[in-house]
Amino acid sequence: MLTRRSFLISAAATPLATAARAEDEMIKVRDLYERRGNDLSELATGLEGKRIRVEGYMAPPLKAESNFFVLTRRPMAVCPFCETEAEWPNDILAVYAKRVVEVTPFNVRIVTSGVLELGAYKDPDTGFLSMVRLADASFA
Amino acid sequence: MKTTLSISAIALVSATAAMAQDLPQASSQWFADGQAHIEAMMARQPNTSRAKNVIVLVADGNGVGTNYAVRLMDGQLKGMLGEENVLPYETPEFHSALVKTYNINAQTPDSAPTAGAMNTGVKQRFNLINLGENAIHDDCSTVAGNELTTFAEIVSGQMDKSVGIVSTARITHATPAAVYAKTANRNWEGEVPEGCTAQKDIAAQLIDQMEAGVIDLAMGGGRRYFAGEDVTLDEGGKGRRPDGQNLIEKATGMGAQYAWNTETFNQLTLDGTTPVLALFNDSHMEYEADRADDDEPSLADMTKAAIEYLSQNENGYYLEIEAGRVDHGNHDGNAYRTLTDGVAFAEAVAMADELTDDADTLIIVTADHEHAIAFNGYCGRGSDILGLCYDVAKEGVGHSDELLLADDGKPYTVIGYLNGAGSVLKQVEGGNDYAGSRAELTQEETTDMDFVQEALIPMSSETHSGEDVAVYAKGPWAHLFDGTIEQNVIFHVMNQAVTAE
Repeated sequence: MLTRRSFLISAAATPLATAARAEDEMIKVRDLYERRGNDLSELATGLEGKRIRVEGYMAPPLKAESNFFVLTRRPMAVCPFCETEAEWPNDILAVYAKRVVEVTPFNVRIVTSGVLELGAYKDPDTGFLSMVRLADASFA
Repeated sequence: MKTTLSISAIALVSATAAMAQDLPQASSQWFADGQAHIEAMMARQPNTSRAKNVIVLVADGNGVGTNYAVRLMDGQLKGMLGEENVLPYETPEFHSALVKTYNINAQTPDSAPTAGAMNTGVKQRFNLINLGENAIHDDCSTVAGNELTTFAEIVSGQMDKSVGIVSTARITHATPAAVYAKTANRNWEGEVPEGCTAQKDIAAQLIDQMEAGVIDLAMGGGRRYFAGEDVTLDEGGKGRRPDGQNLIEKATGMGAQYAWNTETFNQLTLDGTTPVLALFNDSHMEYEADRADDDEPSLADMTKAAIEYLSQNENGYYLEIEAGRVDHGNHDGNAYRTLTDGVAFAEAVAMADELTDDADTLIIVTADHEHAIAFNGYCGRGSDILGLCYDVAKEGVGHSDELLLADDGKPYTVIGYLNGAGSVLKQVEGGNDYAGSRAELTQEETTDMDFVQEALIPMSSETHSGEDVAVYAKGPWAHLFDGTIEQNVIFHVMNQAVTAE
């Protein structure tokens, strides 16, 4: 349950815990973004291309039998009185899993492991546009 | 007769005071504070002048329970234990009442008819805004002939007052829409069904009302419903209007000023000569917990700007201010964002109060409905309202260091929800059974900004509840708020205040 701050501190305190060992550290979806606003965090840009572990919640998948899902920082509550249509938060993480995804309930915390990719990418099947992704991912 | 009564009342008060000094508890601060409160209440004088200005501040979903939690959150952020805190609208200066929030056909209300009741003086039907009792949800053919007249239309007409709306939700969302729109479906924010000609969509109605001189200032979120689907908006998002109309250009074309972020907000001319349209987000504005000052103004900042703008009109104004996302935080089951938005609301109330004169301005503070929020016991004083319930200490005031445990041997939070995403019952793999056990919660985890409080019944979104809300008011005719009232009575107090002879 590391916050971004404690992650940085613990990384600094242990010389062996270099960015190459980032997969051993667990971060939250929100650690990839600035505290306020929608910009990516320094942590995210520093971890690009590396395998990392991120905890969050699996939003109800957009497509059945797919290897793609979206990881959210809080359970993706779907509120009929707040929204007229599906409304994605800004701070999410797209996940491309190694295998077809076995759906986890939207309110059960999961940990995903994958290679962090940054930059715009449009999912060919769903048209979902992501700015941050985990590729080659697995989750538990 | 009246003289005799006054004399005996004085005699009674002094007798009480004399007797009080002899009581063993008379030296307690609680006793002195209690007496001071009585004096403050006795000093209140009903203000029966005509109100020049009316300000209604609505925290969406801030019923009596949620407001209790906001009080503790605000107090704890200020370094108090929390329970003793007094929100800006909870002082003896404010008159108050309990409000029954149900809709014509709904025990559990939604924000559209509740806001409509406050703006028209009659209860309305679930999911409709400002249409009479014969209108049917989602049925455009029932609009014609059922349109109600709004308070904004009343005061902007013969009284020539200015009208403003501020919300942290989309400006086309239910509560702000109830100031200016009449619709058979609260979701028709940027389009109406094909063939529906009896009404326009909500965004188009706002611009029409601005053009008609009913609405002078509108600040909130919801930019996407003001431009066509092929339009790239200020922050890179796309418009959502299938009809392709650019209502932002339409507004600026008729002389309105437009702002879309903090920088352009700060550049607005607030002399009251031209209408103001400010749309700070494609959808809702950010939660206060996620808001960056250089991106979006706070609710208090918008309140200040709106009052400065509207008070240029010597005939006065009507201003509705909504903290729209107290409700959304509750729907998410996330007490952190619910309460930080509640605190931002309290700051907006304080700002409105500071900038106005009780002699001529009726300030009403209320909520539209409550949520399925509830509170566990028996927590000691100062237990973090976001966190775990600590035991009552035998000595001193603050809670003990011992966590209270449920029958499963695990600690629990002060706040819980009856339903929602935080349900302890999770869907069992491959079936429709729900089962579960509670997590071993820690104080660090439960006070985290993203923690979702535990709930009972599994639902994708936590629900409203039909429980009462409170209304607090000061200024002309505020004393009419007393006892337990129907929500539509709020309109009648406003109407009495602006028409009093």
